[in-house]
Amino acid sequence: MPSRFTSRFTSRFTSSFTAVTAIATRPHASARRAVVLTLFAALAASSLGLGFAKPAHAAGADDIKARGYLTVATEDDFKPFEFVDDGKPTGYDNEMLALVKKKLPVEVRQQIMPWPGILPGVTTGKYDMAVTAVLVTPERKNTFDFTTPLVESTTYYATKKGSSIKSGDDLVGKVVGVQTGSAMLADLKAYDEALKKKHGGQGIKQIVEYQSYPEAYQDLGVGRLDAVANTQINLNSLIKTRPDNFALGQALGQPVYIAWAVKKGNTAALQMINAVLFDLRKSGEMYAMQKKWFGASFESMPQSIN
Amino acid sequence: MTAFDYWSITRGALSTISLSLASIVLGVPLGLALALIRWARVPVLDRAVYSYVSIVRSCPTVTLTLLIFFALPQFGLSLDPVPAAIVALTISTSAFNCEVWRSALIEFPRDQYDAALSFAMPRLTRMRRIVLPQVWRASLPGLVNEMTLQIKSTPAVAVIGIVEITRAALRVGSNTYEPLPPFVFALVLYGVIVYVLLRVQRSIESRMRQGEAA
Amino acid sequence: MIHDFATIWAQRADVLSGLLNTVILLVSSALASLVLGALLTPMLMSKRKPIARAATAYVDAMRCAPFLLFVYLIYFGLPTLGISLSNWWAGAIALILYNTAYMAELLRGAWHELPVTLIESGKAYGFSGFTLLRRIILPPIFLRAMPMIGNQIIQIVKDSAFLTVIAVNELTHEMTGIQSTYFIPFAAFVTAVLLYWCVCLAIEAGTGALNKLAEERRA
Repeated sequence: MPSRFTSRFTSRFTSSFTAVTAIATRPHASARRAVVLTLFAALAASSLGLGFAKPAHAAGADDIKARGYLTVATEDDFKPFEFVDDGKPTGYDNEMLALVKKKLPVEVRQQIMPWPGILPGVTTGKYDMAVTAVLVTPERKNTFDFTTPLVESTTYYATKKGSSIKSGDDLVGKVVGVQTGSAMLADLKAYDEALKKKHGGQGIKQIVEYQSYPEAYQDLGVGRLDAVANTQINLNSLIKTRPDNFALGQALGQPVYIAWAVKKGNTAALQMINAVLFDLRKSGEMYAMQKKWFGASFESMPQSIN
Repeated sequence: MTAFDYWSITRGALSTISLSLASIVLGVPLGLALALIRWARVPVLDRAVYSYVSIVRSCPTVTLTLLIFFALPQFGLSLDPVPAAIVALTISTSAFNCEVWRSALIEFPRDQYDAALSFAMPRLTRMRRIVLPQVWRASLPGLVNEMTLQIKSTPAVAVIGIVEITRAALRVGSNTYEPLPPFVFALVLYGVIVYVLLRVQRSIESRMRQGEAA
Repeated sequence: MIHDFATIWAQRADVLSGLLNTVILLVSSALASLVLGALLTPMLMSKRKPIARAATAYVDAMRCAPFLLFVYLIYFGLPTLGISLSNWWAGAIALILYNTAYMAELLRGAWHELPVTLIESGKAYGFSGFTLLRRIILPPIFLRAMPMIGNQIIQIVKDSAFLTVIAVNELTHEMTGIQSTYFIPFAAFVTAVLLYWCVCLAIEAGTGALNKLAEERRA
């Protein structure tokens, strides 16, 4: 509400103000003025942002211990790595996190959210670590540092049972679904390029990007998609729950490691978590967890993949 | 659908209602403040409010929510999902409420205000005793209409992971591969909430009409 | 920060295609819902009770349901009844069906304000049925309801952003893809907000011009 000062200010200036604007006013002049002022303000704000954007939370180990907690982000529906069952987060990553929490000197605050927000959240400093299935790719290594790997995987595709797609070459002219902003999308695009070279310019008809996989699987079941690209671990889990609907296809990419990610340079959080993960490897709990969720254990993974 | 599925969707309804309530409680007074700034033609702020309302009214709730949740941390302001959703919904509803309040303020007969001025009434009493009671009555239908629209735009906050009615129904549907029953149940819940709001609006309107008649 | 905007500029082909999709969805659903709404309004005001009641039930249902839920119903629910639409068509049809109800309601409000003498004199001149509707009734109520129609068209722009959840390649969807691949959330979403603002300013300018036309005709 305008103060007493503003009222005197207003009454003294309003008359001259209205006189000026009455002469100069044309229809939409105020709108035009507002647009120009706002664009100017936006430009000024973004150039201020150059000096203003601070890389948040590049904290040392003592800072984390002083703060008392680590913030992590986990995806909400990516079976069998992380999903919510009966209101509780569960899955390989969530149960590994539970084991890690027991040995960690600080508290862990977890936020469960859709995938497109997790990695950008780590780069902007919102979260210390992405405790979710992050595939380790060379492009991501420029922006992130990774923990010791938790599992290995390859991108495959899945189709409806009885589909006419028998091999990767049959994907020409088909519609394939994949998660937005994922390494599987990158693998699929690279495979599409290879198909185009092999088949004289003909490749996948359309790549549809989804926020999360449950919607993609539903569309595959209904027939809107001919195939869905995901890691073979995820697809195996899908086929286990619905063996009559879906079938696994072939590999679309090379084997990659899956690990948890921190912003590049955040060595404090990385070392804290790595220490515990190494312990879990030595004690065999990690391999037991892998057998539980994936049906196989990956014992010959390297210690560090940065 | 199991009983637990019904329960999870109903829990989403609690989320929806509490988010809407918070944003309404914050957004209505904020809208009034913005409308008063424009009504009093405060020199620089007037233009700022004009731009703000114009931008926010044309911004989809989904994009605004994504901006507040993902983009603000780049400037060091990191919010949890629920506060971020409340901020986004409040910003959105305050812009629309500003227009509702402003149209009521514009129609307010200026001669009453001048009469109060000639009686040397202090500003606060002027607003409290003369302007606001009548303006409040005039803008109530618009405000309640805006509240209904607010409730219908709460599904936008599902994109940052908040499990409200629509997202809860979606999750149940994708787990059971039978999407229709949870969506129908969600529709029923929304219908109940909107119906209750409409009844409240009608009872307030009839009470005000009685007050005016008397 | 400037580097982030440079990344977006490098991806401008995707951004523009998203913007184009938004505009195409906007124009097609605005036109279709206006036409269908104009046809629905006489049904709302029909003296035959069953028709009026059915039309009112449809309008009330659309006003109660959130748009996102309606989109999910059409996209995920219809296939269980055998009708499977692509995500583009599901989005377009959801927009059209949803906004037809709102347009019909707006036009109905304007219809009520029409002076009865207008319709009576039209009937006296021999206009009846569809010709009466098209030549006598619709022009004045369209012009009278123009500000509200403008608001509703802006609402269509905002509702189109919801279609990102069913993977329609409109502006918000493209921006989410860009920001999650290049990790530039602020630049991406601020660009999206400014682009939406430009689209809405264009709509407001258009309806302002039509409003002036209406004023001139009324005077």
